[in-house]
Amino acid sequence: MLEGASLAVGDGQFVSLVGPSGSGKSSLLRAVIGLQQPLKGTVEREVAPSDIAILFQDDALLPWKTARDNVALGLTLNGVRRGPALEQADLWLERLGLAGFGHRFPRHLSGGQRKRVALAQVLAREPKLLLMDEPFASLDAIVRARIIQDVAALVDRERISVLLVTHDLEEAISLSDHIYLLSQGPRAHVTRDYPTPLPRPRDPVRARMHAAFAPLYEKIWSDLSREVDRRP
Amino acid sequence: MSPRFVWARQLAALAVLLVIWETAGRAGLLNPLYAPSPSQIGAALVDLFGSGRIWTHLEATFTAALLGLALGIVAGIVLGVLGALVPLVAELLEPVMTLFNAIPRVILAPLFVIWLGIGIASKVALAFILVAVLIFFTVFTGIRQVDRRLVERVVTLGGGRWALVRHVYLPSVAAWVLGNLKVAVGFAFTGACVGEFVAASRGLGYLLSFAQSTFNSALMLAIILLIMVVVLVIFALAGRLEKYLLRWN
Repeated sequence: MLEGASLAVGDGQFVSLVGPSGSGKSSLLRAVIGLQQPLKGTVEREVAPSDIAILFQDDALLPWKTARDNVALGLTLNGVRRGPALEQADLWLERLGLAGFGHRFPRHLSGGQRKRVALAQVLAREPKLLLMDEPFASLDAIVRARIIQDVAALVDRERISVLLVTHDLEEAISLSDHIYLLSQGPRAHVTRDYPTPLPRPRDPVRARMHAAFAPLYEKIWSDLSREVDRRP
Repeated sequence: MSPRFVWARQLAALAVLLVIWETAGRAGLLNPLYAPSPSQIGAALVDLFGSGRIWTHLEATFTAALLGLALGIVAGIVLGVLGALVPLVAELLEPVMTLFNAIPRVILAPLFVIWLGIGIASKVALAFILVAVLIFFTVFTGIRQVDRRLVERVVTLGGGRWALVRHVYLPSVAAWVLGNLKVAVGFAFTGACVGEFVAASRGLGYLLSFAQSTFNSALMLAIILLIMVVVLVIFALAGRLEKYLLRWN
């Protein structure tokens, strides 16, 4: 259960939320997109709900639709006609390195490819705010690094604000402008926040070699460890 | 042994069995009253088709089975969806369906004959009740198990109620029904044949009971063989349909 989380995501900002399991990180994302109501408090959105997109940990593509139909669905559900939607879908699949895979069903794609289709699906809607709930946790290291590079580049190019929930500090630091740390639940709250002194645009893989990376990692890690140790 | 020629070995074994059977029959080791030889069964089969009298029976059974199948699938889907969406319907329907599911539904055959006569209606009814209960449970339990993640996915992409029905619920229901299509086809033919066996003037089931009453083993085995082939062909067709429509799976 999450209690008292105030955080803000500025225009074009990449913000990460890290914290122990059960602190309510996912619930917060679900509240922002409107899948669940906060018991108390409010969510203030300066962007319309239709401008918010969410990427879950599992790709949750419709298994009976091909990759391009899955991507186009995000557009047709918002009133785009099928023809133009499919054109957009092909364009986004190509941007995510999946040209030629549009006619495959999710079952016939690898985990990384499915994740890319899910990304194309949310990005094709041109959201202003992108929420991501541990989106890359299920991928193996290399696939994951490559996809994160692509996400960083696309988010920069499209000037999308991002709120990322993750367990992975490296991922958080290498991608974010700002990191919020949640305390141990129950009654979790935002306990600390850290600006990351790394310049943007940046390559999230090479960001790990930046001089400021290790000290920040060390600091967040020790704060996070302290939170986890406070487990009741 | 190479796994590639399994079917060849199976066929060879069948041929050997048939040769032994035929030889034993001709040697007088088998009583043709009980165990007619393959050639006698074949002759009965040829006679059925040669005389042309088989067609009316095939037509009767097919009509009853396919009508019962179609009606049963439609009713099963409608009731299953209603049951899953309207709590009152579920409350009233589930105990009845559970009861129907628990009993061997073919025991209703004599009752349907009394109610609906010895014509095709009683056979359709039996095939229908066999299929409808099966499909009802498939859909009813299926809808409750629709993947929540897919629902949330469509909702967060901006989809409303109708979008959920169209993009999540309908395809899920179709997948479950198709997954049970072969079983349903088998049920439909069981219903039609048993119904005809109980009381009818046409149909493969009627031919079976006729063969029984005249102690004609060759005819009976010929009809059993024919029903097997018919159902296998329909199974294959249903399998093709399933494979095409569920090609995403």
